[in-house]
Amino acid sequence: MTDKKTDNSSALNRRNFLKLGAAGAALGAIAIPAKAKETITKKIDEKTAGNFIKTHDEFPHEIRDDYKPHSNQDIMFTAGFWGFHPEDVDVANSGKQFGYKTFMHYEEKKGFDQLSKALNAGGWALHNNVSPLASQAISGSGILKWDQYRKKEGEFLPHHDWVNEHQYEFENKQEATNAIKRAAKLYGADLVGITKRDKRWDYSDFVDPQAIMEGRPEDSVYGWERFPFEPKSVIVVAFEMDYEAIATAPTDVQGAGAGAEYSSMTKTVYQMAVFLKQLGYQAVPCGNDTGLSIPYAIAAGLGEGSRMGNLITYKYGPRVRLAKIYTDFEFVEYDKPIEFGAMEFCKNCMRCADACPNGAITFDKEPSFEPTHENKDRSWYNAKGVKKYYMDARKCFYTWGEFGTDCGSCMASCPYNKPDFWHHRLVDKITAAMPGPVHDFMREMDQLFGYGEVGNLEKIDKFYDPKGRSYNGH
Amino acid sequence: MIFTGIETLFYLLGIITTLFVMGLLKYNKELKFNALSWALLGTGSFLCIFCIAWSVSSVLEGVPRAASMGLVIFGIPSLLFLLLGRKVALKKK
Ligand code: SF4
Ligand code: SF4
Repeated sequence: MTDKKTDNSSALNRRNFLKLGAAGAALGAIAIPAKAKETITKKIDEKTAGNFIKTHDEFPHEIRDDYKPHSNQDIMFTAGFWGFHPEDVDVANSGKQFGYKTFMHYEEKKGFDQLSKALNAGGWALHNNVSPLASQAISGSGILKWDQYRKKEGEFLPHHDWVNEHQYEFENKQEATNAIKRAAKLYGADLVGITKRDKRWDYSDFVDPQAIMEGRPEDSVYGWERFPFEPKSVIVVAFEMDYEAIATAPTDVQGAGAGAEYSSMTKTVYQMAVFLKQLGYQAVPCGNDTGLSIPYAIAAGLGEGSRMGNLITYKYGPRVRLAKIYTDFEFVEYDKPIEFGAMEFCKNCMRCADACPNGAITFDKEPSFEPTHENKDRSWYNAKGVKKYYMDARKCFYTWGEFGTDCGSCMASCPYNKPDFWHHRLVDKITAAMPGPVHDFMREMDQLFGYGEVGNLEKIDKFYDPKGRSYNGH
Repeated sequence: MIFTGIETLFYLLGIITTLFVMGLLKYNKELKFNALSWALLGTGSFLCIFCIAWSVSSVLEGVPRAASMGLVIFGIPSLLFLLLGRKVALKKK
């Protein structure tokens, strides 16, 4: 671990937190203008959050010298759907099962019936139509193409997807980063961070399914030489998934919650790429492809790693989807990794490991440099050499095949997954300030208070209940 | 709905807080609290307000179990603090 230092100016977007207790309640009662009240609560919030969020100058996980960038061929989807690692028949079978069951509905099975499947299909629709393979870690799919077109004289291209000859000059780094982040939010991102391109997190190679389908296996793997420019920065964006949808895990309603954000992220990263291109810089929009989203998101200060392997953000917990934009624009103020106690909490919590239907998540107390799970000897899918919790993606993928949708029980069970209510944020902050032994107690309390239960089909009724969405936790 | 549940809650909490503060000041005039009764009554009042805030928020969120746990975890200690504070204050008199 690197040295920690407190940075009160953390760029995280925090919600009005201190509406509570005597001070907040009194503020609520006093007839001061809403705007002033908002400013006061924001100031108090920044003060308190600053004390709990630490920043790191370096990547916050230890990395062994023999760490190698991960190959696109070693991503579970690439292997499961496109035949890499043919020796692992069970992985191919999981892929087949998943593909088959995705389109089947079972009327007797709540959460997998026609209504749920239709909801799921609608959620994924935009993504599946315009960038069908990005969710499976395939680069350059559909509108997420690598193309950096230069417009010819007089050519009419109303989509503006071409690199402007004239490069816009920002006054300073802060202005550049402000503009980029503002644009990302305008286009639909919930969180944005900017980090330097780091070859450790890029895929070492790429898979071309077209070549496989056309019977040209020799062309099915290619390298960075095809990438159109030397990337300098990576903009990482996170999208909040619907709380009620994710709470129904593992069902197709949960899958719809994930799919809806896959569609959103495809739209946003494409718009971001066009924005950067029109500023005169080159840009490639990506989903799960081209590089590992989670370490990039950690590096860009969006959140912490976790036992389940997902990113845990300060604002939405693990309930986010991630996407990124590679660009040759480097004139930006880079974000720093943050820490607010999630990885520490994971040491004692283990609720995701309890909730996982197939035991894919480790119960190890401490993170390790190597996988420790049952299938560790054939775990080509784990990027080894980073000190973290290693999950058994083989077992996870098997479960996805069983359900025909992307399970998500780990995410739904996590104590950091809460709707945006003041009392949850208070508990998060208290948790961050407390030492390890208290975390055990906090975990028990979270369960006692009735949070994070998975496999409860009543949650589907709650998802559809019009009253269920009428609250406002802000 | 012009006001959301949470906005109404915080408005009412403001009023309740004011009432608690006024009540404490009124009884202090009569009974002249010592440090211990101030501490007990103050903690009890804070916990009581917090209990209302927590439980109503949990109901609004649609997690009734968290609301009832809130009543147990914050409500009961709050009552104990308030009763004990009252006892200490009355004894002094
Ligand atoms: S998605 Fe489901 S199967 Fe996979 S790790 Fe999470 S809980 Fe386990
Ligand atoms: S459920 Fe607990 S152990 Fe798992 S990621 Fe969340 S905080 Fe960590």
